[in-house]
Amino acid sequence: MEPPERYGRETTGFETAEKIILRWDSTVSEEAREKMIFEGDRCEVDRYLQAVDEIQRSMSSTTISNDDQTKVNSAIQIAMARLEDEFRNILLVHIHAFDIDSLLADLGSSSCSRTNSRRESSDFLEEDHLDQEETPTSTAASAALVRDGGGSGSGDVLKHIESSTSAVSSYRSTSSIREVDLIPEETIEDLRSIAERMIAAGYLRECIQVYGSVRKSAVDLNFKRLKVEKLSIGDIQRLEWDALETKIRRWIRAAKVCVRILFASEKRLCEQIFDGVGTAIDDACFMETVKGPAIQLFNFAEAISISRRSPEKLFKILDLHDALVELLPDIEVVFDSKSSDSIRVQAAEILSRLAEAARGILSEFENAVLREPSRVPVPGGTIHPLTRYSSDPSTPDMDFSDLEGKTPLELHLIWIIVILQFNLEGKSKHYKDTSLEHLFMMNNVHYIVQKVKGSPELREMIGDDYLKKMTGKFRQAATSYQRATWVKVLYCLRDEGLHVSGGFSSGVSKSALRERFKSFNAMFEEVHRTQATWLIPDSQLREELRISISEKLIPAYRSFLGRFRSHIESGKHPENYIKYSVEDLEISVLDFFEGYPVSQHLRRRSQ
Amino acid sequence: MPATTEYQGSFLGRISIRRNQVMNMDGNHDQELEDIELFQRHISDRFADLLSSSQQQQPSSSEEASTPAAAVDPFLSINWLRKLLDVFLCCEAEFKALLIMGRDPSQISKPPLDRLIPEMLDRAVKALDICNAVTNGIETVRHCQNLAEIAVTALEQKPFGDGQVNRAKKALSSLMMEMTGEDKEGGSYARTWSFGRRGSAAAASTKDRGHLHLRSHTWSVSNNWSAAKQIQAMTANLQAPRGNDASGLASPVFIMSTVVVFLTWTMVAAIPCQERNGLATHFPVPKQLVWAQSMIALHEKIGEEWKKKEKKGSVGLLDEMQRLEKSAHSLIEFADNFQFPAEEERVEEVAAQVAEVADTCRKMAEGLVPLQLQIREVFHRIVRSRTEILDVLESTGKVSAPIV
Repeated sequence: MEPPERYGRETTGFETAEKIILRWDSTVSEEAREKMIFEGDRCEVDRYLQAVDEIQRSMSSTTISNDDQTKVNSAIQIAMARLEDEFRNILLVHIHAFDIDSLLADLGSSSCSRTNSRRESSDFLEEDHLDQEETPTSTAASAALVRDGGGSGSGDVLKHIESSTSAVSSYRSTSSIREVDLIPEETIEDLRSIAERMIAAGYLRECIQVYGSVRKSAVDLNFKRLKVEKLSIGDIQRLEWDALETKIRRWIRAAKVCVRILFASEKRLCEQIFDGVGTAIDDACFMETVKGPAIQLFNFAEAISISRRSPEKLFKILDLHDALVELLPDIEVVFDSKSSDSIRVQAAEILSRLAEAARGILSEFENAVLREPSRVPVPGGTIHPLTRYSSDPSTPDMDFSDLEGKTPLELHLIWIIVILQFNLEGKSKHYKDTSLEHLFMMNNVHYIVQKVKGSPELREMIGDDYLKKMTGKFRQAATSYQRATWVKVLYCLRDEGLHVSGGFSSGVSKSALRERFKSFNAMFEEVHRTQATWLIPDSQLREELRISISEKLIPAYRSFLGRFRSHIESGKHPENYIKYSVEDLEISVLDFFEGYPVSQHLRRRSQ
Repeated sequence: MPATTEYQGSFLGRISIRRNQVMNMDGNHDQELEDIELFQRHISDRFADLLSSSQQQQPSSSEEASTPAAAVDPFLSINWLRKLLDVFLCCEAEFKALLIMGRDPSQISKPPLDRLIPEMLDRAVKALDICNAVTNGIETVRHCQNLAEIAVTALEQKPFGDGQVNRAKKALSSLMMEMTGEDKEGGSYARTWSFGRRGSAAAASTKDRGHLHLRSHTWSVSNNWSAAKQIQAMTANLQAPRGNDASGLASPVFIMSTVVVFLTWTMVAAIPCQERNGLATHFPVPKQLVWAQSMIALHEKIGEEWKKKEKKGSVGLLDEMQRLEKSAHSLIEFADNFQFPAEEERVEEVAAQVAEVADTCRKMAEGLVPLQLQIREVFHRIVRSRTEILDVLESTGKVSAPIV
């Protein structure tokens, strides 16, 4: 029922506007329910918006009566309810899932200097392509990135991104953030025009809520596709570390996409729609959208950072730490408002916990090495398991290049080796046989040296000076061994004490000589029997030591035999005294350090 | 040698007797007993405080004026919860000092601690998850606050017309749905359509996207995580130490564990978080333990409230939320029966209620962020203590029960 025309006021304008508003009142009109204004004719859209403006003008007009005021308020409320629905509808229609593959490919390039990225790209090629269709472009992009290697040239990388037909329609080349156009520009204009009016009418809260709830669903959708975990801290503590390693790797990839693309794009969208419309509304909308998801994302990393420490976790924790360090600047950029303090703070807290965890693991390991309590000497003096564990990187494909620049870590590793040697020395004292003690040290230090030499990264970290020191150490151990064993054996072959002057036969004391031969034989037998069972695992070292022994032993024996055999052979039972020929000795030396017992019956060459 | 102090009759009676029995032991043991006793006393005092502050309930405005020093924080209000969190932090600090400082590490890996400590650490992990769930739940509360604020804005505008009332009604309906519907499956619409949508493009495309839920919040844990179950698990192996065990460290371990359980249980009861159906109301603390009296009383009080509200699909016992719910009910009634123009007395009534809602919203606006920060602090503290205890256990090199 139309109100009667009044004179002298803007009733006409108002009434027309009111009619339009009421026509689109969906609580009343069937037609209004069926259609959406913004999906229809642009003229209708303009008309409606103008009507809203007209009503709002009337609101602030001072020349209307109380009755009319009520009508105006009613009209406003109906208009706002309608606009809210339109707003929601537009947002819903424009929810798009990202093309995750190409996003991951693009981001694989941003961690240029780290071989991690090489692994990551090829990882996702293996993993994700099992679930999703292969898009040739993304494969090409990531394959190209893999070829590029860990290299450099962000220029090359950008070229790849441009050439691949990905869903990234626009990006900022500052840092590593890549914003994506979530909603086409004309639509943004529409959204903006609605938002402006809602906010002008005092319906800010409704606007933020609608926006937040729809956009958050969009973020959740992408979260699912990125397989962001929904595990509780309890769940994570109970998982096997192997399973967790995979999840961590996946998380690192997902986090990069989330922060640099997903969240950054949402922020941009908020700015596009709400910038300039009231104070900090874009911040409020952004937080409404991403706060929950961001917390969900970081909760996983947090759970990892508080898990129980053990050595095998070290490198993955460092990976996670490094990834977060890399992401931190982007987090600061994306979450730069006051209301997002808690997220920045949480990220920083996680980072420091991860660093603490890494340090804790290293120091626990160090303590274990220092205090490793076994007093049972390793049989045969061979390499102690702890040496092996310490020197061998715990993962076969461990990659040290991403530890570049971590001087404290390098120092720490050297420190661990120092402590290891200290421990080894302690252990070596448990051997009753001093020779074995030295052999043990020689074996183990040599092993460390070999390992360090064999890994260029380790070698670089440990440094050549220290390497030289350790080399000197094992050489010295070898010398000490020889002294401990062979001095007394060779003592039997010395000249002094064999010659007697004066008396009948100025010459050699036969009895002394016989004693000497007996002693030598007995000693050599003993040493031979014992030290055949000792082990030098490294064949080259084994050979070197045997040669070194031979070089001292054989000439001495040859000379001794040469000078004195006639004296023995001229007496009774020479075979009791001259048991070995030179060749026999040479052959016997070959038995040393093989780790097998030899038969007690000596080989004897027939005389 | 410590004097046998007699506070409040037999408060320390039991301990004094025991102390007489062990007077022959060396000074260290005496010191430990004294520390434990002190710890118990502090617990008792702190919870007695909480209890008494909660008993000064809902005074009428005249009473409020006459007891200016009285705790104005209603039971289970945001501020009261913050007090509870403070109490926890104090107890925890004291407990840790008792357990770790100046102590030979091997002591905490001996029986019965070799079993009790891993159990305690397991509870710690569950408590962490509950902290996260509650923090998340506070977002729900904030969301309700926003909806209530809309209603307030609408109804503060005079004169009442259809416009404001409809706006308020819409907000209040969403609020009610949020409060009662958040535990149900299928998602609740944060902002409802103002009409039913049929056959529109949007609805169709919504379907294409596969059940796009417009929940006002999503939980960040999987659907089968349940706060109630976590608390049940925490309570299951909670047992007061008996016999000889009761005089050693097992006692403070038990005490601290009950504090943790009480805290998490209270928070879950107060704040809507994922899955509180079946929240147990049994508190496994023997009633005769002197230090536990106040805690037990509080537990009973909360338990009763919980039982009352559980049937209605609870929005949580948080005082502010309860008030909101009550006000929302009566305001919706007003809005439903509204006809322009409104009667004078109704207008006044409504104005009073709107003012109350506004006040509640203000409390929420002021208190929710600090509450979240405090919960976060509790989170950090639990993490730190757990790490320290784990370190101590590592150093002894032996643990008999598997540690999570």
